[in-house]
Amino acid sequence: MAEAAGSELAIHVRDLQKSYGDSEAVRGIDLDIAVGEIFGFLGPNGAGKSTTIEILEGYRKRTRGEAWVLGTDPGKPTREWRERIGLVLQDSQLDPTLTVRETVTMFSDFYPRPRPVDETIELVGLKEKRDARVGTLSGGQRRRADVAVAIVGDPELVFLDEPTTGFDPSARREAWNMIEGLKSLGKTIFLTTHYMDEAQHLADRVAILAAGKIVARGRPEDLGGATEQATVIRFRVPDGVTLEQLRSAAQEPVEIAGSEASIQCEGPQETLYRLLAWAEREGHKLEALEVQRPSLEDVFLQLTGGAPQPTQEVAA
Amino acid sequence: MSDVALVVKQTRYSLKSISRSPRALVFTVIFPIVMLLLFASIFSKGGDARTNFQGGQIDTDAYFTAGIIAYAIAMACFSSLAISLTTERETGLLKRFRGTPVPAWTFIAARICRSIVLVAFQVVALLVIARLAFDVRLSAEGIAEVAVFSVLGTAAMCALGIALTSVTTTPDSAATIAPFGTVLLAFISGVFIPTDQLPDSLVQIGRIFPLAHLASGLQAAFGTGAVHLSGENVAVIALWGAAGIIVAARTFRWEPHAQA
Repeated sequence: MAEAAGSELAIHVRDLQKSYGDSEAVRGIDLDIAVGEIFGFLGPNGAGKSTTIEILEGYRKRTRGEAWVLGTDPGKPTREWRERIGLVLQDSQLDPTLTVRETVTMFSDFYPRPRPVDETIELVGLKEKRDARVGTLSGGQRRRADVAVAIVGDPELVFLDEPTTGFDPSARREAWNMIEGLKSLGKTIFLTTHYMDEAQHLADRVAILAAGKIVARGRPEDLGGATEQATVIRFRVPDGVTLEQLRSAAQEPVEIAGSEASIQCEGPQETLYRLLAWAEREGHKLEALEVQRPSLEDVFLQLTGGAPQPTQEVAA
Repeated sequence: MSDVALVVKQTRYSLKSISRSPRALVFTVIFPIVMLLLFASIFSKGGDARTNFQGGQIDTDAYFTAGIIAYAIAMACFSSLAISLTTERETGLLKRFRGTPVPAWTFIAARICRSIVLVAFQVVALLVIARLAFDVRLSAEGIAEVAVFSVLGTAAMCALGIALTSVTTTPDSAATIAPFGTVLLAFISGVFIPTDQLPDSLVQIGRIFPLAHLASGLQAAFGTGAVHLSGENVAVIALWGAAGIIVAARTFRWEPHAQA
């Protein structure tokens, strides 16, 4: 039975479809998200990301397919179900005239077993700002207030829709720590982002959406295998070593650009072994040695045919 | 926590929020009081002036007190609700609220309750100021009549304020259309200028809208004699209120327009 299957997972989706008139925003996607994992949902603008997340959040009705979120059909959201879910929406602002503590307290009243308000504010790193009005906070601080509001009801599942858009690098790092903190509390996290490094850093598994379909899925570190791009080994060419010597040592094609040698290879372990054994034997030092796997960004670009674009912010 | 308790709490936050918004405070609370002091001083000529009203005459100070109460109700309900609901919708706050376990109606109910609190405060404040500054008095029947029209006016103006959010797609448009419309109508509804000093055509246009009927219903309460409860005033306000409820129920949206 579908319900039984859905209840074992935080999110269980089969052949989810959504059309607006003639245009199909979501064209049959499957998702299985385990309890306690951070799931990264990636895709360029217009791929159907927002539509999918809004269906799972209970904001939109699906056209076809099966969807279970915490064992409940999100097309028929109930009060009990909403008590178990936390939302950070992409484009939602809190009342700018209320303080952080007032805002979090107000939302905590909506839930039967809320987390302590001050502890929640501390968890998102706004302890110093708890008596500041939301309107005086920086963009990053407001987003953290959003997260505090999303988790104050102590939900099992948290939807984070582009939680770090517009953050500077250090604010993003802090947000990552906070999100990892949520995971350590045992929350399941459904994360959308257009920063590939963010997905790579945070997500246990990702799915890449393009034109309403999932085109790749898996652990971020495994997704490199989905492309034809090979792992690259780079190092500085030791003095007096020729290209020929390197080729015979690595038994792979070697390219030299300036003083840097690069080797593209399918099996980096064997190639590295041969290379290091040769260097050891001959007494060469391989400086600036690095092994670079195709990044999630490379995979994303290849599969979606474009750079991940930040969602346009509409001026209020 | 029960839903009713939630509405009470929400109302309190909502009042806190408006008390921290200088523009809203000036428009809904301070402006009507200043208007009363201003117009009554300009037109009452030392307190003896009488104004023609429904074939008779009433004290000019009382005439303006009643009119400004009608104006304050329109500002606290129609204008203030339209502005705050439009703003809360377009900033995504309403959508955010709808994603919580709490029934969505409690948020609207809390904002209506805020308007009711503001009206109660304004009516009492304006009556006290009128009494102290201009010696405007109300009979027992008059008090009952002010109460009836205040309740009816509050209900109708709240419904119309929510209905207006279907055409105000940005906070700016709401903050322009709602107060400007109210001020415009106030000029031709016997609020800022007595109707006997206006061309008849303008008075007739004004009487299409509920503000004129709310004003004259309240003005009649300050007259002497028996109960003045005018069926026409009650009917026009109630009809507008009913229309507002229908439009609001059919067109109200929770999600911002900015979103595709």
